[in-house]
Amino acid sequence: MINFLIGFFLATLIVALFTMRLYRLILWYSLNSLSLALLAITIGVNIDDNTMIISGFFTLVLKALLIPYILKRASLQFGLSRQIAPNIEVHHSIILIPALLVFTFYLAEPITNLISVNANYVAISISSLFLSLLLMIEHKNIAPKIIGFLAIENSLFLLGTTATNGMPMLIELGIFLDLLMAIVIINLLFKQEEELV
Amino acid sequence: MIYLLLLPAAIMLILSFWSVEKTRFVLPVTSLFILFPSISLFVLSKPYSIWGNYLVADDLSAYVMLVSSIVAIGVTLSVSTLSLHVEISNSAYSKFYRFFAIFWIGLTISILANDMGLYWIGLETATLSTVYMIKTNNTTMARREAWNYMIVGAIAISLVLFGIILIYASAKPILGEEAMKFSALLSSAKEIKSPFLFEIGFAITILGMFIKMGFFPMNLWLANVERASFYPIAALFSGILESAVIIGFFKFTKIAQLINPLHVFIFVFTYTILTIFIVSFLIYRSKDFMRLFSLSGVEHMALIALFWAAGGVFGALLHFGAHAFLKPALFLSTGILESKGKYKIAGALKGYSGIKGKIFYFLTALFLLSIISLPPSPMFFSELYGFSSMIQIAKENKHLLLMIGAIVLLLVLLSIIFYRFVEIYQSMKYEGVEEKRVVYGNEVLALLVFALSLAGLLTPWTFEFLRGIS
Repeated sequence: MINFLIGFFLATLIVALFTMRLYRLILWYSLNSLSLALLAITIGVNIDDNTMIISGFFTLVLKALLIPYILKRASLQFGLSRQIAPNIEVHHSIILIPALLVFTFYLAEPITNLISVNANYVAISISSLFLSLLLMIEHKNIAPKIIGFLAIENSLFLLGTTATNGMPMLIELGIFLDLLMAIVIINLLFKQEEELV
Repeated sequence: MIYLLLLPAAIMLILSFWSVEKTRFVLPVTSLFILFPSISLFVLSKPYSIWGNYLVADDLSAYVMLVSSIVAIGVTLSVSTLSLHVEISNSAYSKFYRFFAIFWIGLTISILANDMGLYWIGLETATLSTVYMIKTNNTTMARREAWNYMIVGAIAISLVLFGIILIYASAKPILGEEAMKFSALLSSAKEIKSPFLFEIGFAITILGMFIKMGFFPMNLWLANVERASFYPIAALFSGILESAVIIGFFKFTKIAQLINPLHVFIFVFTYTILTIFIVSFLIYRSKDFMRLFSLSGVEHMALIALFWAAGGVFGALLHFGAHAFLKPALFLSTGILESKGKYKIAGALKGYSGIKGKIFYFLTALFLLSIISLPPSPMFFSELYGFSSMIQIAKENKHLLLMIGAIVLLLVLLSIIFYRFVEIYQSMKYEGVEEKRVVYGNEVLALLVFALSLAGLLTPWTFEFLRGIS
């Protein structure tokens, strides 16, 4: 189950890199967050860690449901462009993404050698981090860049979950709170853009 | 204590929702209350637990807190006449204070945090709140830079979190959840079973912090953001936000030095020399005050990091204090010099009459000459102590000739910066035409606060206190 979820996490991120429509991108982000939430809940149940189960539920509500809803609402309200063609052509991405995956697995090898449990998952989370950065870089529009930033946050959450078996509850909650604040700021920035127009 | 620390920010947040006409002068007064808990932190015996084992004040954090409080007071004092220099709406003015309050809460948490995660949360809160502060300037450039700041800042902060997770993963097998605590890591650093993982985490964390401070290769992003913002916001960036970043650097480095001090020094040394090399030429080519001071801020933060990594704690802290007072003072002076967006470097210091004008003229000249480390500026002494600590570390590692070469290179680069600043100062004083210019009482008062604080750094008491921080 964990293998499936982590594979699904990576797959959603890869598909997001090829997406050319904003709502589809939001959907892929939502599915990416959903797999992350289910992963945290599953690992939490397996190792009997209530903190991880709770943070999994927070992820589910906040990242898989609330943030995609807010983003979609904001895109409707502020009339954001729904065409988000990436700067990198699809046929180049097809070569670039696997190359990046191989490179990050190679890059993460010294780290994964030091981690006794879930070593491959750590490599996948580092790969996801690079793919999220690519998502930010390959788009000119601001909305996909924001989703790239949110995907980075997901990758870091995955790293925290797999490399450390979860971080302390207070820190997890603080990170969620900061993420919410980031969404509020993003909304305010969009709002002011609209006022200026 | 935690209530005392956060109360002024909470009051400011509430007042910011009221009419600006009623609160224009109340808000700066509220900021004065920031100082009292910061001073009381000095009186209490340390380490003093503010909130369990999460927020703990030690000598280092008490010092950074006090410096940041003074800067905050100086900046908020000058904000009350911001509308006389730039076009700012009442709602933007309220929003500045609203986000300043959130910024202050985040900053307090990150400075006093004894927990890596909490430190990150505070830093992220402070960073996000400044994004909106940039946007109080209603221009296309400010809008673009606010987004840029959001994106680049988010990447930098994400790198910091990435590194923290790796550090936590390296120490969790021996410390459990306590591996998040700076104090626990400090006492058990040598027992960490995978020092390589810790060092990778440390390097990524520090890389994130360096990007946030505008180090190589992101030398211009902070300068662009500060150019696009109103001058008090640029002053907050350079005087306070960078303090929150650098205290994290201090804390992480202290732990990493217990594992392998030479690795830390080589990493920081290479990075900072490269940064200063590029920044010195950028300063030489800069054509406006804001970019000039912003880039000079990057240079000084690089020097602070270098001195600290070389073991020159005293030199680094003295330099940090001096920079934290001088840079906001210079940004505030710039705001006055650039009133209504019109400015020329030639003759910029001419035309200030009356007592306020003369004090402003004197203080601006003093700050300009102090930032290039002319004695008796505290920066002159901090650089002497900093360079001597670099020599000391080279002696211990038998690389004295190499270090002397590096110091000579640094001095050459610093002399380029020195030359540019003196050239600008002379142009401001002797060239151009004289025009009548205005400076307001609160602005002079703010600059006096910075000048007195700067003088305070040179007192024997301060020297003794800074020497006591290990």
